[in-house]
Amino acid sequence: MATETVLGVFAHVDTTVRALEELRARGYHDVTVYTPLPVHEIEEVLERDRPVSRVRLFTLIGGLAGIVSAFLLTIWSSMVWGQVTGGKYLQPTGGGISGSSLPPFFIIAFELMVLFGGFATVIGMVVLGRLPRLRTSAAYDPRFTNDRFGVAVHCAPERAATVHELLRTSGAEEVKSR
Amino acid sequence: MSDGRTTSPTFADVNRDVLRTLEPPGNLYFAWMCFVALLLAGFFAAWAGQVWWGMGMAGKRVPQMWAMYITTFVFWIGIGHAGTLISAILYLFRARWRTSIYRGAEAMTIFAVMTAGLFPLIHAGRMWFAYYLLPYPNQRFLWPNFRSPLVWDVFAISTYLSISTVFFIVGLVPDIAALRDASTGWRKRIFSMLALGWEGSDTQWRHYRRAYGLLAALATPLVLSVHSVVSWDFAMALVPGWHSTLFAPFFVDGAIFSGFAMVLILILPMRHFFNLHAYIQEKHLDAMGKLILVTGLVLTYFYICEIFTSLYSGEHIEKASLFWKVTATYAWALWTMYFCNCVAPLVLFWKRARTSPVVLYVVSILVLIGMWFERFNIIVPSLGHDFYPYTWGIYYPSPTDTMIVIGSFSFFFLLFLGFIRLMPSLSIVEVKETIPPPVRDRAHGH
Amino acid sequence: MNRRDFFKIVTVSGAAAASGGCQQASETILPLVVPNEQLVPGVASWFSTVCRECPAGCGVIARNREGRVVKLEGNPDHPVNAGALCMRGQAALQGLYHPDRIAGPMVREGGAGFKAAAWDAASKIVADKIAALRTSGKGRAIAVVTQLENGNLGGLLDRWVQALGTRPRVTLEPFAYESIRAANKITFNRDAIPYYAFEDAEAVLSFGADFIETWLSNVNYARTFARMHSFRDGRAGTFIHVEPRQSLTASNADEWVRNAPGTEGLLALAILRVMVDEGMADRRFGEAVASVDVKRAADESGVSVETIKRVAKTFAHAKPGLAIGGGVSVTGTNATQTQIAINLLNAAAGNVGKTVRFGADSAYGKVTPYSEVANLAGAMAGGEIEVLILGPGVNPAFTLPSGLKLADAIRKVALVASFANVPDQTSELAHVVLPGTHWLESWGDYSPRDGVLGFLQPTMSPVRDSRPMGDTLLRIGRAALGAEEGKGPIPWPTFEQYLKAAWAPLVKGELEGALRRGGVFGDVAPATVSAKVSGGEVAPPKLAGDGGGLTLLAYPSLRFYDGRSAVSSWLQEAPDTMTQAVWDAWVEISTDTARKLGVAQGDMIAVKSPQGTLELPAYISPTLHPSAVAIPMGHRYTPYQRPRYVAADPRSLNPMDILPAAADSTSGGLAFMSVKVTLTKLGTRRPLAVLQATHDQDDRELAQHVELGAAREQALRGRGPEAAAPTLYEDQKYPGPRWGMTIDVDACVGCQACVVSCQAENNVPVVGKASAAYGRQLHWLRLERWAEGKPEHPTNMFLPMLCQHCEVAPCEPVCPVYAAYRTEEGLNGQVYNRCVGTRYCGNNCPYHVRRFNWFQYEFPTPLEVQLNPDVTVRQLGVMEKCTMCLQRIIAGKDRARDEKRAVRDGDILTACQQTCPTQAITFGNLKDEGSGATKLTHSPRAYHVLEEIGTRPSITYLRKVVRGGHA
Repeated sequence: MATETVLGVFAHVDTTVRALEELRARGYHDVTVYTPLPVHEIEEVLERDRPVSRVRLFTLIGGLAGIVSAFLLTIWSSMVWGQVTGGKYLQPTGGGISGSSLPPFFIIAFELMVLFGGFATVIGMVVLGRLPRLRTSAAYDPRFTNDRFGVAVHCAPERAATVHELLRTSGAEEVKSR
Repeated sequence: MSDGRTTSPTFADVNRDVLRTLEPPGNLYFAWMCFVALLLAGFFAAWAGQVWWGMGMAGKRVPQMWAMYITTFVFWIGIGHAGTLISAILYLFRARWRTSIYRGAEAMTIFAVMTAGLFPLIHAGRMWFAYYLLPYPNQRFLWPNFRSPLVWDVFAISTYLSISTVFFIVGLVPDIAALRDASTGWRKRIFSMLALGWEGSDTQWRHYRRAYGLLAALATPLVLSVHSVVSWDFAMALVPGWHSTLFAPFFVDGAIFSGFAMVLILILPMRHFFNLHAYIQEKHLDAMGKLILVTGLVLTYFYICEIFTSLYSGEHIEKASLFWKVTATYAWALWTMYFCNCVAPLVLFWKRARTSPVVLYVVSILVLIGMWFERFNIIVPSLGHDFYPYTWGIYYPSPTDTMIVIGSFSFFFLLFLGFIRLMPSLSIVEVKETIPPPVRDRAHGH
Repeated sequence: MNRRDFFKIVTVSGAAAASGGCQQASETILPLVVPNEQLVPGVASWFSTVCRECPAGCGVIARNREGRVVKLEGNPDHPVNAGALCMRGQAALQGLYHPDRIAGPMVREGGAGFKAAAWDAASKIVADKIAALRTSGKGRAIAVVTQLENGNLGGLLDRWVQALGTRPRVTLEPFAYESIRAANKITFNRDAIPYYAFEDAEAVLSFGADFIETWLSNVNYARTFARMHSFRDGRAGTFIHVEPRQSLTASNADEWVRNAPGTEGLLALAILRVMVDEGMADRRFGEAVASVDVKRAADESGVSVETIKRVAKTFAHAKPGLAIGGGVSVTGTNATQTQIAINLLNAAAGNVGKTVRFGADSAYGKVTPYSEVANLAGAMAGGEIEVLILGPGVNPAFTLPSGLKLADAIRKVALVASFANVPDQTSELAHVVLPGTHWLESWGDYSPRDGVLGFLQPTMSPVRDSRPMGDTLLRIGRAALGAEEGKGPIPWPTFEQYLKAAWAPLVKGELEGALRRGGVFGDVAPATVSAKVSGGEVAPPKLAGDGGGLTLLAYPSLRFYDGRSAVSSWLQEAPDTMTQAVWDAWVEISTDTARKLGVAQGDMIAVKSPQGTLELPAYISPTLHPSAVAIPMGHRYTPYQRPRYVAADPRSLNPMDILPAAADSTSGGLAFMSVKVTLTKLGTRRPLAVLQATHDQDDRELAQHVELGAAREQALRGRGPEAAAPTLYEDQKYPGPRWGMTIDVDACVGCQACVVSCQAENNVPVVGKASAAYGRQLHWLRLERWAEGKPEHPTNMFLPMLCQHCEVAPCEPVCPVYAAYRTEEGLNGQVYNRCVGTRYCGNNCPYHVRRFNWFQYEFPTPLEVQLNPDVTVRQLGVMEKCTMCLQRIIAGKDRARDEKRAVRDGDILTACQQTCPTQAITFGNLKDEGSGATKLTHSPRAYHVLEEIGTRPSITYLRKVVRGGHA
């Protein structure tokens, strides 16, 4: 059945937190909170039933990919076009690799680790944050990037009235349904 | 609101004040723009002449096959250190005072690294083949020499530029969302696109915070590595005065030193013209003053080490090189450097000096001069008096390389002046983090 | 030069090659579609001929590629130079392809400049004038002046002169050593200049004879001097040199004795006196030196009595020794007396017949005496001469003292016909110019000394429209005589036919072979002479000018001889070894003269003599005798060099402009040391382009030396065990050969021949004075002078410095694109196409032997024709350096492969090694224990420059051996 979204606009942090506490106590878990900045108190409440971000997984994979590709590139390329420079070289011989010029390749490895890791992280953030999109969600209000806090509750239509009441009592300046 | 200046500003003030910096600028601004653009024209003219007639247009010679180009290259790379240092390391250390300056610092970093990035091209005898340095697949299986410090540079600097840029953009997204919501018409449409549809929902913030932290964690070693790698251009060479294990930390410290000087040079006018005293407060200046003082003292220590090691080495050629630097043709440059980098910053021991914009500004300019000469002294005199007496020689700058060095500053300032008009030069979000959040009944508040 | 000219050269000389070069240069053009079987593209053909850059007459073989000569080398079979060539010989190509070369016959239009003319028209002018003079019985009004032509060209000219009844031909050589001839006539009753057998001497005592620079036959004597002097298995001769100025030759001496100018004769007699007194010489010489007071000689010459005694002992005890005299300070008015004293020394020490050998007499003995030149000048001034014919290579207006007023005299001549092929100060005065061919384009022969006749043959067709002087004169002569070809006293259609006819009895049908060998080389029976003891007093030289002034020493330049080689930009840019200055001329003043005048190096100084004033930048020399001033001769520029390479400055560089026309009182020979000059500071500056920052090694032991005794000991004991530098890395493996080189600092005399040879071989551009002064010269090989000991009396060491081809090369790992890398054969490769121009390698090379192309350097037409097709011409923005003549290595390996054998010594000679008169350079395969280079690397004298850096160079130097604990 269709759900209704009830949006409460708050001016203060403490009121917002109180509203969230109330909602949680009443068993409303499908809540979206809009804030102009990350607020510690609010996160505290929400963290209780939200999983930790998986961005770090992206970072890890990216970094490892960087290291591996760096060593592949450097070692392979000095194999296919091995030149002796300054008495040092790295060349395939019967037994395997002879020569001695690995140390510099660690520098390349480090750089590519950071590069790939960094990009992977951003990609992770974008993907998990459901970005990018051209239009903002229905419940969104421009004031949320300025100085207002928003709590959008997604509930069954018949309970909308009670949510309205709840938000207002906990101190919302304005409550509307979307 | 009226009491906004006396007490700390509200969230709304922050938005208003920051967005105000993006209003159409005055004549002074355009005057500056024209001046800078003029210099830039000279810069490109000189460069074109050099490409057409050859490297000989610049004053290079045997033995100074490197001179002011590499000097300025290293100088700009150094400048490029403050930004990411502030946004990464200080972020991890939760240094709250960073928030109001880090956006400007990051922009500075990116522009400085871009400027620096020009110099390897300007410097190359056949810059139209500079792409040979990139490991691109080609039918002849030719690859760069990964043992060459110059190739390390290519990787280090391009990585640093990319990561700094990413960092910068990620930081910008919520602010652009604020711009979007504050603007109308075509601006709104552009900002909507740039904002990627950011709306500050709790999910977005959750991933955002995590990603930002991880980026900071990645960027921290990067900041320290970039200038180390650049320093190896010299440390890996044989030239007396270059061939030293001291160089990596020495260069990194110098970089931070000059980076912060440049930050001040950029922030102080902004603070003045945009009237941002509420956000860039004395405590910020004080903190930066302290940082310059500390890095300056560390640098002095490194200078002493440098002299000590070359004396203690007992290496005749090392000592000869040092003695020549201190006494001969380029001695004036060396002593200028010592004064600007070792003596001038000492004034910052006094809190009054640290909090006085004028004093800070003067010191910063001296520091920049000193740091440019540091690189000059490493490159030109060392080469001028190295192993082989037959080729000892003096380098004289030519109009071409002088013009190009000056022009590089115009390139940098053009970018920066453009930035402060197009993007919020303070981070709306992070500035809000520094002021107490609005609470209704003080009982619960903090 | 445009494409058509090029093909002309190619095709014509293709034909030339077909008949062993016997093809008169003509305009006939064969289409290239008919390839000539001797003209194989990519394969060089060699033509042997004789170098005519100076009268020494060294044998040359010219490397001809696709019809154009690209390199000259010494002819290994030639007895004079045995394969070596001096820097002037190497640079002869720049005269051949000179941008200013006269394009064709020219006739002066009234007062205005020259106008191009047809050959017939131009020669008709001369012929008519001569005919007119003959009919009016004024044949004596015709004068012919050529450089020393003692071969068949000379013969032909003399016949021509007789046939036309003109004045006898005058051969003009500014340096004619007449005093030696006169002295020999007096002492040995033989008007000749003997062969000096340096190679057989144990000690050489030279009174100013600059035999390493220009004296008589510099390549020959530098070569034989090295045989006598350079350290070989424990033995080494001694060389003592007496000269007021430390010339290049002086700085090669084991003991350089600095004397007051003009006192050489006194010293010689004093030495003889000591020898007689101490019973080291026959009593009968006593009478000659009865009046000689050693003490007085010591005072006047400023040489201590002890030194005189020491020198006398060294010289007398040498079995045999050799005393020679020459150079500027022995060309005073007392020159002959000095030479007589030297003759007595040789006679007293019993050197005559041993090291002083008459019989194989030098060509210089056949030069027309200066007195006749002076007479001719007088006749011209007196208007007696109406036709003056000047052969190529003579430039009296420049090379003779202005005191002779020759230029003015020539202006009085009604018709001056010049055969110069490059404009010079004398051809400026001509009315008709009939450009003669360059000697590399000519037939002919030349006899450097009796018994040796070198053949000249065209090595390519003329670069410009020029004709052999002989042919033109034959035509003119016949026209004047009204005789047609085949008839009359000069019937030969061309000089070539005359020459071949003259050769026929010599070569006995073996012309091809003789041409290939380079001539007919025999030995003449030594003439025994007995010494007449006479002379015995040497008057001080008479010097014109202000008595209080300084004696002017205008000395012949190693680089330009009398100035005829100054047309070469290679030589202009090859540094003078002692001063390391390029391009400009200078006045060398002693340190305290400089202090008195208050001048620094590069300050302009006016050198004033009764004849005039010369303005030159100062070079301050701590070694020069305080009573002397020295100016090198021969410095001049040709039009294309200004302002391309040097700022256009009309002022003269020529010391002849301030010399009076003085003559040696006895021989009548030209006296170069004949005037005292006064110096004044001008206040302006013209900094010299000095390439070497300092001559002080600053204790870095770049050039090392060992005392003779120690060297002998080591030579016996052999080299101690080698301590290999510790390394973390496994050594490089060399599947094939590993190339290496050794350079013997003891043998190197600093003649710069290698520098110019390298420039010719490797297409090294010329950069000009300003760039060179700013450390942008491009020489792949430079010759350094390092001085040790007292500044006023240093021991000099010469160090040829080129890419060291290090095994652990600092230049390689820093290159981001592998442009610098190590080849499998132990060379440091440099890939121009790959080079991006970061110049990192240039910084990191401790020897700074890498060169950068700061600009796009040009090779003014037609010099680009000389470029070696086997060597890349480098583009703007790339690094370059010595390749150890990679192209020669490849050629040598190919030859060995074709002959199915391994490369051995001699297959590959680098350009520098090939031309070195003293064989100081040895190239070879270091993996072959038998190769000469390998053997030398194991010598006890072997060392590496800057060894402590651990670059492990492939070039090994051998320490100089110093005598008597000098330095």
